[in-house]
Amino acid sequence: MGAAFAFVQTKGLSKVYGPTRALTSVDLRFEAGQVTSVEGPNGSGKSTLLALLGMLARPSKGDIWFGDRHVGRSPSLRASVGVLAHAPMIYPDLNAHENLRLFAQLYGRPHTQRDLAPFAERFALGSWAERPARTYSRGQLQRVALARAVLHAPQLLLLDEPSTGLDVASVERLITAVQQERARGAIIVLVTHDDPLRDRLADRRIALAQGRVAETPT
Amino acid sequence: MSLWRSALLVFQKDLQIELRTGEVTVTTGLFATLVTLLASLSFFIDENSARLVAPGVLWVSVAFSGVLAMSRTWTRERENDVFRGLMLSPAPRSALYVGKLLGTLVFLGAVESVVVLEVGLLFNLDLLPILGPLTLLLVLGTIGFAAAGNLFAAMGVRTSARDLVLAVALFPVIAPALLCGVVGTRELLTGAPLSEIWSWIKILIAFDATFLTAGVLLFEPLLSD
Repeated sequence: MGAAFAFVQTKGLSKVYGPTRALTSVDLRFEAGQVTSVEGPNGSGKSTLLALLGMLARPSKGDIWFGDRHVGRSPSLRASVGVLAHAPMIYPDLNAHENLRLFAQLYGRPHTQRDLAPFAERFALGSWAERPARTYSRGQLQRVALARAVLHAPQLLLLDEPSTGLDVASVERLITAVQQERARGAIIVLVTHDDPLRDRLADRRIALAQGRVAETPT
Repeated sequence: MSLWRSALLVFQKDLQIELRTGEVTVTTGLFATLVTLLASLSFFIDENSARLVAPGVLWVSVAFSGVLAMSRTWTRERENDVFRGLMLSPAPRSALYVGKLLGTLVFLGAVESVVVLEVGLLFNLDLLPILGPLTLLLVLGTIGFAAAGNLFAAMGVRTSARDLVLAVALFPVIAPALLCGVVGTRELLTGAPLSEIWSWIKILIAFDATFLTAGVLLFEPLLSD
């Protein structure tokens, strides 16, 4: 389990890719136990914001704070972040259990079959989970991806278009899982173009436009 | 989590996938065999010419199949964007490089053992008396080649021109290692003792040390936005 903190804050956060200003002086605060949706058109800086919060990219300027800890590519803070994106980030040639065991080990978490059994139960990983992930449906892939994203009980959970390509039942399962994470006290940042999903999950909405924080949507 | 423990996890994962699919070793093994076979049909005249041609054939097979192996193992990291999942984990990022490097060394080691056997058979050469020094050359050459190659292959994970990066940009960089390997092997086959190829071995050691250090140090900065 990573560090516990009650908020994530960005101060003057900017990111430049060559001649492109992806984010410009963004000040935001995300609170524990809250789902914040980040909205905006394509190219508004949503993915860049998630990459910076996930420590996959370095800010060109500005700071990110996880509580009172400054994010400076510390591996221990990376353990506090979970990411669920459209791509499931699991190995197609390993089965669900093998994938979860690998990531549990990389996160320094208990990884025996007994340790991971609650995740298999929570995300309804049935007999299909014994097959290589290459054979899974989109919904099954996303269930494993969700289990991977939360198996280390991340304090910050980043959701990037998590419902793309999912059927109604899978979306319901996703919503339940996110609500459970919120109840646990996780800080959740949701980027989605799926309005019904956002309406059901978001406690707070912010909008980005051309890399800046725009007016809060109503 | 320590660098070594994380690297071993990545290595074990690659080994597990390879034992299940056989994709890298079978593909590269067949490719190396084909290169060796075609070269022996084209260039084998007599034992004297074989001693001059075989080193080149051996190292060309190793180099080409090595590029294929690295390209394939890094393609696995691209599928499902799983490399991003690894980069998100708290494991030291250079451990991902070291883990992939260990996997490449094992896969290439397996292929090279077959290629050496094939070169011996197809060029009618008794490699047994020089097997020790030849193995040393191959191990050192492969370490340097794989150390540089994995760095280039990792950079290719996030570019659309990945095959071009690996095939075109890598060879000029690894030319010293290949040169040492080819010349050292030729010397061995023409009867030189280990002491006479020592200078080539020293260059290979320096090459390996340079690229291993560069790989560990540069992996994270090169892959960060």
